Amino acid sequence: MTSPRPAADWHVTDALALRYAEGTAPETDAWSLEKHVESCSPCAGRVSAAVRAGAAGPALASVRAELLASVGHRPAPVTTVAHPLGRWARLWWAAGPALRGSWVVAVALVLGGAFGLAYGAGFQGARSWLLALSPVLPLGGVAVSYGRHADPLYEITAATPSGGLRLLLTRTAAVLAVCVPLLTVGGALLPPVAGFPGAAAWLLPGLALILATLALGSFVGCRAAAATLAGGWLLAVTGPLLAPATADPDSAAALVRYFSGPVAQGSWAAAALACAALLVLRRRSFDHLETR
Amino acid sequence: MNKPATVAVTGLTVRHRRTVALDALDLSLSRGVHGLLGPNGAGKTSLIRVLATVAAPASGRVELLGEDVASPRERTGIRRRLGYLPQEFGYYPAFTVREFVAYVAWLKEVPANRAPAAVERAVERVGLADRIDARMKTLSGGMVRRAGIAQAIVNEPELLLLDEPTAGLDPEQRVDFRALLRELGKEATVAVSTHLVEDVAAACTDVALIEAGRLAFRGTTAELAALGGESADPGDTTTNAIERGYTAALRAHRERSGSGAARAKEALR
Repeated sequence: MTSPRPAADWHVTDALALRYAEGTAPETDAWSLEKHVESCSPCAGRVSAAVRAGAAGPALASVRAELLASVGHRPAPVTTVAHPLGRWARLWWAAGPALRGSWVVAVALVLGGAFGLAYGAGFQGARSWLLALSPVLPLGGVAVSYGRHADPLYEITAATPSGGLRLLLTRTAAVLAVCVPLLTVGGALLPPVAGFPGAAAWLLPGLALILATLALGSFVGCRAAAATLAGGWLLAVTGPLLAPATADPDSAAALVRYFSGPVAQGSWAAAALACAALLVLRRRSFDHLETR
Repeated sequence: MNKPATVAVTGLTVRHRRTVALDALDLSLSRGVHGLLGPNGAGKTSLIRVLATVAAPASGRVELLGEDVASPRERTGIRRRLGYLPQEFGYYPAFTVREFVAYVAWLKEVPANRAPAAVERAVERVGLADRIDARMKTLSGGMVRRAGIAQAIVNEPELLLLDEPTAGLDPEQRVDFRALLRELGKEATVAVSTHLVEDVAAACTDVALIEAGRLAFRGTTAELAALGGESADPGDTTTNAIERGYTAALRAHRERSGSGAARAKEALR
């Protein structure tokens, strides 16, 4: 039996693979097969399987085992020693994906910039700049760590029971755990500005803004919510921040009004509470089914 | 089939903007390995995403594992018992395989005391045990896909949805993977979307053939092969028979719905 020149769509049949494995295939067929499996992986798999299942199988298996042993490959250890997937590892999983490199760099740049301005260039307003920018930095962290546009694992997390609000809150907590100490201590180390509130004054506005982001995010998605609120905040503080440079140095009072005094802080606390309440009402919206 | 249905879909319609991805589809699946076959763009991925509780149907009822997907509370229950391998998925490059699978186990609320062993078992079942502590970014495409399969089975799901799981696997890994599929199918309902007929021939007990958002054929693998008729070639394989059955079923379906599809396209314009 001689086979004609194999056509483009010619493939190794199971019967031929079997004959080849037994060594009973005609020589021309064996040649065609050997040429073909060089370029067709499904057929190569079929022929390998037939050969392994055939008489040569045990010999091949022992050769493979010896070869692997000689190159230092050992079969995977069967011991199931509990890996140190302890509490710290869990914390790392929860925090790890949240702290995106670009965002951490942005926070470090803002902080470094403030120190550079204050001590390098002798700029007196560095502390007020840092205070004004601090509340929006966590928003960026949330925007780049959760949701379809930011999280590479999104498609998988969307099908899990914890992929909704629980995951969003863990990541927000991780973002805050980095932001709060860094920005507060950083602010405290900068030279104080006369008549300006302490370094901790941004905490309540920051909390209110981040809760507002989550609450608004339950309607429009976290990225859009963070962009809206951060944009709004920056618009509100740019005026007062730029004013001292052009006009008299005391008009920073407008910025102080955002932070200083029981009325301002009380309003931020109330806003934070209201947003938290709205978020509780909207908690189901994060594990919704995507409609497109 | 006298096993109870674990997936019951009635009148499922899915739209992407103005195109209809699935058109009033009825489908029920029970324990075993089911192949979802169909041409590219037929709606296989849309169906898998609805079954994975990721995408919402435009209309229709979807019951999984006896619970209704539309209810948030029942949906959470379903998600604990679900495994899903998306067609394309991302990962955190700095995570090791172990961390990646463990992270998903954490998301799926696998109890903390069982998680480490479950992670190792899942990774071992996909044949990645020797790379378990390698970082994801160092893996080849086939290994990433196998890590993806490991995350899908880490909670020993009762419903397992795999979208093109054999893409990027080499022939030997495919053979191993089909053996794993058959094993998983003994305990769980496994739906595998594929366009490789040999996957179906080797691993699936039955087939749902989807064409243009509708069910074109539903039956066992043997029934699909029988549709293709007898071959003149004595050296014919099961794969070839299924390929012919696939083509025959598609052609018959297109003839049946040809006029209907044309009308639907008119209506969309």
